Order: sequence, then structure tokens, then C-alpha cells
Amino acid sequence: MTLFFQQWRSELLKLFVRRRTYIGFVAFLALEVVIWLLFKFLNGEKRLAWFISRQGQSFEKYDSALTLAFILIGLSVLLLGAIYVSLVGGDIVAKENEDGHYRLLLVRPVSRVRLLGIKYLSCTLYTIVLIQFITWTAFLLGLLLKGWGGGFFLFTLDPPLMEFFDWREGLYRFFLSTLLASCSMTVISSIAFFLSCFPIKPAAATIGALTYFLIDRVVRETGFMEGYDQFLLTKHISSWVLTLKANIPWPVILRSLTVIVAVNASLFILGASFFQTRDLKS
Amino acid sequence: MALIEVCNLTKVWRAGKLALDNVSFELRQGEILGLLGHNGAGKSTTLGIILGMISANAGDVLVNGHSVKTDRAQALSSIGAIYEAAHFYDYLTGWQNLRVLCSLSGWWNESEVKKMLKLVGLEQRAHHLTKTYSHGMRQRLALAQALLPRPKCLLLDEPTDGLDPEGIREFRELVLRLRAEFGMTILLNSHLLSEVEQMCDRCVILKLGRKMYEGVVPSQKKKHDVFQLLTRDVSKAREVIESVGGTFDPVSHLVVLPPQQPAYELLRLLIEKTVRVDSWTAHKPTLEEFYLGMTAA
Repeated sequence: MTLFFQQWRSELLKLFVRRRTYIGFVAFLALEVVIWLLFKFLNGEKRLAWFISRQGQSFEKYDSALTLAFILIGLSVLLLGAIYVSLVGGDIVAKENEDGHYRLLLVRPVSRVRLLGIKYLSCTLYTIVLIQFITWTAFLLGLLLKGWGGGFFLFTLDPPLMEFFDWREGLYRFFLSTLLASCSMTVISSIAFFLSCFPIKPAAATIGALTYFLIDRVVRETGFMEGYDQFLLTKHISSWVLTLKANIPWPVILRSLTVIVAVNASLFILGASFFQTRDLKS
Repeated sequence: MALIEVCNLTKVWRAGKLALDNVSFELRQGEILGLLGHNGAGKSTTLGIILGMISANAGDVLVNGHSVKTDRAQALSSIGAIYEAAHFYDYLTGWQNLRVLCSLSGWWNESEVKKMLKLVGLEQRAHHLTKTYSHGMRQRLALAQALLPRPKCLLLDEPTDGLDPEGIREFRELVLRLRAEFGMTILLNSHLLSEVEQMCDRCVILKLGRKMYEGVVPSQKKKHDVFQLLTRDVSKAREVIESVGGTFDPVSHLVVLPPQQPAYELLRLLIEKTVRVDSWTAHKPTLEEFYLGMTAA
């Protein structure tokens, strides 16, 4: 086990010492600031005030760090989340092959499955860390601008949901939901990782994963799979939003999480099985 | 005693191209064996199969009795290798690169690593990013990683490719030192004949995936191991010589005697089989002469 952690530490060193790993973090930080500026200067606050007061609630109470952070997270993850997560997933196996690193790594007495296991864990960890980074920076930005306390108002389209929480409950729901969002997003990095195990360019693995994600989403939006949408991954990915319902539907959430874990495991096993049989030669 | 036994390797690429055809040879303890062949002869494929990077369609490789096919980790635990061009992580230092690679062997010993870096002359640059290294320095770092943790056997795949003459000489001296000081067994894959001639005890010559020769490097053979045979019955002579385990190259007319076969007995056999022998003289060929003859055959 110690050896496994030693090897994992080396993999994380490779991942986090690279400048390009941080592009995602910087991009999200910049995006959050841009979204906040647009929200402020394109009358976002006024519209939000109008919307909240129509529900018979006080805007002053719900104009808080949590409400702002949720808006920032929702938009940034929607715009860039899948791209950065699949970028790392697509890179992690295929880029090493493209750069010829396996000729150094795999002449060592280590099995390919173990090496892939370490890589998969690293890209899963990256996904979770990235989403948590977005969460915390959005929350800190909210605290900086709105201060501590107030309420938590949220509004989502997928699934359609509108809720009001007080500060304490809001904090719990906010961090619980983003934790689940981090776990759900691992399925996108898993698709990219799976494609990355085949002899293709890293960009192709990234684009492949994004394409799958978008097609899945479009099919779901069109209602073509109505009644069968449990077969669509985006349905399970968006289950994290359900933790923001007044009464949390835990069985539905657990079912979605189980599907995500099962899909992740299947993609890893399939990718590793193919990689195991590949001839690695320039 | 054989440290590595390559047994009947056959490899056919997906496109149907035959890369190796029933190739067998052995790497004996303490020797330097040269693997020679033209581009595409199957040298790197052989090395790739030994290292488990490429799967063979038939045959196996045994390292210290452990099969690379079924017991890869155990088999590779006694091997250090430079396989094809060494591509390090440019954004890591030489030291960090070694740390990453050694972690895969489950081994790390700072003093030993420092010793190896000193041996390859990189102790001053160990903490610099590898993207600042010259090609020669990268090759030396590649050798250092192959030597950590100290393996019994070293597999070098065209290690001097792209090096300047001074670099080649330094590298050669370093490898010879490794054998002299640590008793290391080395398999050197190269198409530089002079390199093999100067470094190797024995060599294997591959041509189009087939083994053409395995034995002592011809220029190191005793004068009475190789003869030049002039005859008009070329095919008949070849048949007779190969039937007793020798080799005959009809282009260079060189005959390599099989082990423990006196020259007079082979000559008598040729005459008995009615091969017209015009001339039979002892010869000490250069490796180039021998190699070109073998591969042109």
C-alpha cells in the first residue's frame, strides 16, 4: 500500500508541477470575476431583486454570499467545467504516449493496470479539486462582496427548482451539493480517460468526451428519450442539484451516484483492458 | 549461464508485416551482446518484446527463468533499459525524473542516486530542468535511470544515436566501465558496426526479422574460425556447411565454422559431397565485411 501511495505521489507531482494544470484554475477564477461583473453591470442584481420579491421574500436577506456564489458556480461549471475536466482526462494517458514517456515508465517492473489505476485516481482527484476550487473561490468572492450571513436563494432549470434557505441550512446545502457535483463530474473525466487509453491524440480523447456529453445533453433536452432518460448520463450528473430540494430525495440521488460509480468503474476496466493489449512502440 | 533466453519469437504487425520470424538467442551472464541489423530488421521489436512493451504472436522471453509474458514484473526486476529515444518530463528536473521512475520500481535511495549521477557526470546538473539538457546529457540521464536500482542486466537500444563523436566515445567508455566494475550483462542494440566491434563479445545479426547469425563478433574470432571458400557450387556448398551448423555467405564467400568443428573435417566433407573447392583460406574478416555479407545473402 505504501508503494502505491509513493507511486501516486509521483503521479501527482507530474500533474501538479506542470503549469498547464493550473490553466483551468486560473480560467475559472477569471470566469467567476467576469460573470460577477456582467451580473453587476447588466442589471443582474435588479432582476434578481425583482424575482425574489415576486416570491414574497426580502431581497436584502437573500442578496448574500451563498446566492452569489451559487450563480457563479452554476454558470462557470456550465460554460467551462466539462471542458477542463475532459482536458485532463484526455491528456493523462494519451499525452504520455504521444510524448514517448511510456518507453521510460513501462520498462520498469510495474504493471500497466497499476500505472493506469494511479493515473485514473489522479485525474479523478483533479476533477474533485477543480470543482471544489470553483466552489470555494466563488464562496470567498461572495463573502468579500456580500459579507457573512443572510439567506440562500437558488434557482435551477435542470431539474427545475427554486428554494429559499436560511444561512445555516444554506451553508450545509451549498457545500453538500457542490461536493456531489465534484463526484458527478468524474464521469466526464472517466469518458475522456477511457478514450485516452486508445491509440488516439489527446485532443481527440477530449473532443470525444465532450461530444458524448453534448449529444447526451441534447438528446435529453429534446425529450426523445423521455421515460428512458435514466440511460442518459447527464441526468445522473445533474442529480447533485436534488440536494438543494427542501426534502432531499436520497434514494434518487443514491441511484444516480451508483450509476456514476458503475459507469466510472466500467470505463476504467474497459480502457485498462485495451491498454493492456496495446503494443507501445514509436 | 543464460540471463535472458529469447525463445522462438514471432511478431506480425496488424498490417500483416512480419517483424520477427522465429528468432531465438541468449544473453549470457557477464557478456556484452550486440544486436545488429538494418533499419526495420526487428531489433527494437525484439527489445520491446523482452521489455513487455510489445506482445509476441508466438514465443517467449525468459529473464532469470521468469517469463516476460506471465511474470513480467519479476522478470523486469533485474533489468535496466534505455528503450528507443529517452523522453523525460521536460518540466521536471533530472532528479525529479529519477524519483518518478524509481518509484515505479518501488525503490529510492538518495546516496545511491547521487552516486549514479556522479558516475554519468550529471551531479552538477541534477537539479536543473531536463528541458535545459543537451542530447548527450539526456542520454547520460537515461543511462542513470537504467542503472537505478542497480540491475543485473542492461538493455540499450541505439544509445548513441544522435551523439557527437566525443559523446559516443564517452558513452562507450562508460558502458565498458559498467561491465568491468559491476560485472553487468549488456544487450546493445545498434546499427553502428564499429560500436559493436569495439564493445561486444558476441553478436546477433537480424535481417528482415530473421536471425542470420549468432556468435562471436567475427573480428574477434580466432583466425582459424573463419575461412574464405571460393567455389562454383555455391548452393551445394551452402547446403553442406549449414547441415553441420556452420554459415556460408555466398557474396563474401565467408564460412563461419560451427563450434568444435575442425576446418579440415568440413573441407573433407565438402570434397566428399563433390563440391568443387577452388580455394580455401583462413580469413579474419572485419565486422563490416561479415555483416554486409550476411545481410546481402
